[in-house]
Amino acid sequence: MDFRPLNDTERRQLISSLRGNAESNRAILMDRRDTSFLGSADEVSDEEVINAIKSVPCHY
Amino acid sequence: MIQVFVRKANQLLRDLSGSLRGHPTKPPSPQPVPATTRSYEPLRRLLLTDGVSRTLFEEYANHRKGSRGEEETGWVLLGLRDTDEAIALATLPAGTEREAGVAHVRFNSSAQAVGSRFVRQLDRRLSMLGVVHTHPGSLRHPSDGDFRGDSEWVGQLRGQQGIFGIGTADGHPNNHPVVARQPKPHAQCLGALCLSWYSLRPTDANYRPLPVELTLGPDLARPLHSIWPTLEANAERLDRLARQQNGVRFDVVAGQRGDALAISIPLAEPGDAIRVLLEGKEVTYVLARHGDLLVVDQHTAAIDQGVYLLLAELASQS
Repeated sequence: MDFRPLNDTERRQLISSLRGNAESNRAILMDRRDTSFLGSADEVSDEEVINAIKSVPCHY
Repeated sequence: MIQVFVRKANQLLRDLSGSLRGHPTKPPSPQPVPATTRSYEPLRRLLLTDGVSRTLFEEYANHRKGSRGEEETGWVLLGLRDTDEAIALATLPAGTEREAGVAHVRFNSSAQAVGSRFVRQLDRRLSMLGVVHTHPGSLRHPSDGDFRGDSEWVGQLRGQQGIFGIGTADGHPNNHPVVARQPKPHAQCLGALCLSWYSLRPTDANYRPLPVELTLGPDLARPLHSIWPTLEANAERLDRLARQQNGVRFDVVAGQRGDALAISIPLAEPGDAIRVLLEGKEVTYVLARHGDLLVVDQHTAAIDQGVYLLLAELASQS
């Protein structure tokens, strides 16, 4: 079992999946071999999109 | 005390009822989401819909004719990120409240955030693909300054890869002004205007030319562009309302003088809702209840405040 801390991307994906499960009954995907978190469906959270929009850097 | 009354014969209601009773055209149902994990490979190509491509060239040309035509401008691109390609389906403009000069542009991201909520009502798979911005001279490549910001920023995107378009107005003067051509796989030119496309990952030492192809399809955000200044003026409050209330819906509808933004906030009973029509600086609050439309005698310009006052009034009556 791998108990390392999640990196930023993994943490964001997990939060997105948990929110999708709570709000829209979307399945959380699990690796059947070791029950680890396998990621989320293709649906993208508002938070992910808006964070990306709000952090667009200045362009020159 | 807010007075709510029925004005069935009211001219305003007659004018607005078509827009406020429902959506002018039934939007497509949200796309089913396949329950699979997605692994991303480096982008092989960018697909632009004809709608997105037209928006970019048309609005770039209009920008150059305007009073701020010397400034840089740009758009955020939303679309679908597939395994090794992306299709751009929506453009969110930099906005009139952008911070820009001849050598830089920073987008008004508040309005773009609300714009993303609008287009993602149609398809929740739409994600941030990248950014298009213009250069005043003939540099058809992102600058060193762009690289410093972009190489950090792309790490949060799907596939950890961003798409970047550079607009320049240095095309050959003899270029056909009506029909676009593609002098290189990653470049499009229409008249004097050119768009050059690149991709970037956090580990890349430089941007990579990204072949671009056209396909038929819409710019899902285009209906918003005609009311973008209205969106910008109310963006912070609209975004806050969407975060605080579940099921808030945005539509572009026909107003009394042109396009208007309609915001719908569902109430507890099925079909009941508070609807707000924003047309320029004019705000109209309407209560849709038991199949009737009740125009509310309230003109609070701050939309979120107006909605919560109305909700409080409804709560006091129940």
